[in-house]
Amino acid sequence: MTKRALPLRWLTSEHPLPWLFPVTSLLIVFGLYPVLYSLWLSFYKRNPATRKEKFMPSWNWEKLLSDERVWDAVQITFTYAFIALTLQLVLGLTIALILDSDKRGFGVLRALMTLPLVVPPAVTGMMFLLMYDSSFGVISNSLYSLGLLSPSTPILGTGSTALWGVIVADVWQWTPFMVLIMLAGLRALPREPFEAASIDGASSFQAFVFLTLPMMSKIIALAVLIRGIDLFRIFDYVKVMTDSGPGTATETLTAYAGTVYFKSANFPYASTVALATLILVLITASLFIKIFKVRF
Amino acid sequence: MSSATIKSTARYVVAIVTVAIFVFPIAWFALTSIKPISAIFNKDRVVVFDFKPTFDNYKVTVLGGRKSDSTKNSSILMGTSGDGAYDGRGSIMSSIIIATCSTILATVISLLAAYALSRLSFRGAQGYMHWILSQRFLPPVAIIIPLVFIFRDLGLRDTHLGIIIAHTLINIPIALLILKSFFDDVPIEVDQAAMIDGATRFQCFYMVVVPMIKGGIAATAVLCFIFSWTEFLLSLFLTNSIRTVPVKITTFVTSTGSEWGYISALGTAAIIPGFIFILLVQNHLVRGLTMGAIKD
Repeated sequence: MTKRALPLRWLTSEHPLPWLFPVTSLLIVFGLYPVLYSLWLSFYKRNPATRKEKFMPSWNWEKLLSDERVWDAVQITFTYAFIALTLQLVLGLTIALILDSDKRGFGVLRALMTLPLVVPPAVTGMMFLLMYDSSFGVISNSLYSLGLLSPSTPILGTGSTALWGVIVADVWQWTPFMVLIMLAGLRALPREPFEAASIDGASSFQAFVFLTLPMMSKIIALAVLIRGIDLFRIFDYVKVMTDSGPGTATETLTAYAGTVYFKSANFPYASTVALATLILVLITASLFIKIFKVRF
Repeated sequence: MSSATIKSTARYVVAIVTVAIFVFPIAWFALTSIKPISAIFNKDRVVVFDFKPTFDNYKVTVLGGRKSDSTKNSSILMGTSGDGAYDGRGSIMSSIIIATCSTILATVISLLAAYALSRLSFRGAQGYMHWILSQRFLPPVAIIIPLVFIFRDLGLRDTHLGIIIAHTLINIPIALLILKSFFDDVPIEVDQAAMIDGATRFQCFYMVVVPMIKGGIAATAVLCFIFSWTEFLLSLFLTNSIRTVPVKITTFVTSTGSEWGYISALGTAAIIPGFIFILLVQNHLVRGLTMGAIKD
């Protein structure tokens, strides 16, 4: 009796299996399997002349470690992610504090603040290309008249400013996402500690530092994690706005993987670079989860 | 004026200026879409309002008008010549089908998994959650190469179904995370009461608990819709003839120059559905994005 009932137990709704089956199977077939496939591909050496591939497990990985473009790309990826994340976090929290009010008009302002979120990133890239254009771009021309930029050094065409140009687009698009998360956190905070603090004569700045920030720390950590992961994977803006240029000034790891894929069709090496990105994200994110004790 | 009035006025001013900065790029883009070509490409100065508005760009990209009709009086001619090259109607249709189907699929299967993770305590639940979230670590470029091969073998390449699956895949982690936090907000006593009344676990799920978090489900669905609607990389690689809107727009950048009129028209049109949806669920979104990080 019990033996016959055993397999059927999996099929009742008390067992997690039926609930998890659709998500799990989809993620295995189209998520896990491609990663393993990528790993397998990375063990082959491609001969560009004959277009033949030969099993040489360490070839691409050794090439990766000695490839200076990879190390440059790692540095650019980290710089990009760090600057963009810091700006988005600080701006996101500040703007959320400003907009967190029930007074008239703030609802409309909060709604308008979400607008950048619905713009496809590829279109965002183009929006900024249009505004950066060195002859008719509104941002470039404003900077010319302020004397901050000269037409001889276009924003995206100059090595020292191109990355900043891309970061501005990213910050514009994703700060609203941070604002939404921070607003969600602010609205969920209990009121009592703040009332008690104000009775005790605490200033609103003290209340922010000693009450808001500690209570928000978990959601801030989660927001940093989610955005940080996305920033490491950045592709659309670089592809559309600079295509890694000028030279390789804005070449992030994913952009480099894309370049290897598109321009030399070296699938094994492109897979290796892409997997290196994944490994980097996994290590950084795991460290972050450990250090800040993020739980889901 | 009392200091409180000054403070509240200052807050309004800061809030309005901040939001205006974030809305500006979209406003500029929308303005560009109704400018005649001569105003967009004015080499001498940036044209702001002094132009004769035209809807030709929308006629061509959204309504399927012939490009030759709208440009025959213009002195500037460029871009690819085919009349259909700037017709975005097919792309809009494809994007609607793909975003709608992948939203429904991702929401429904994430709902099942999120319920199990919230309600059925089982060994390895936290580990499973980490595994699901690690799917979000994947840089799309890391799976895109094998995915192209897998899709080709399964006959999914260049099909709507293929991109629907790909977009479902990228939406599962965030949908699961948000939905689980909504389930966690419903007291477990609700389930127990329903099951004492004779409901099975599944009946309890879809007749009792799911209706209680309708708002949260709507907010999750809107996020999924927006991510699918705006996704670029997977759509670019997995299709040839089906072109989602973001991919279609990038084809307006040609070797002879960018068709800013058409880019801005289709780009502006592409923002509208997402914005309407996000407005409808804004309150639930602001609640759901705490992702359970404030409680306990």
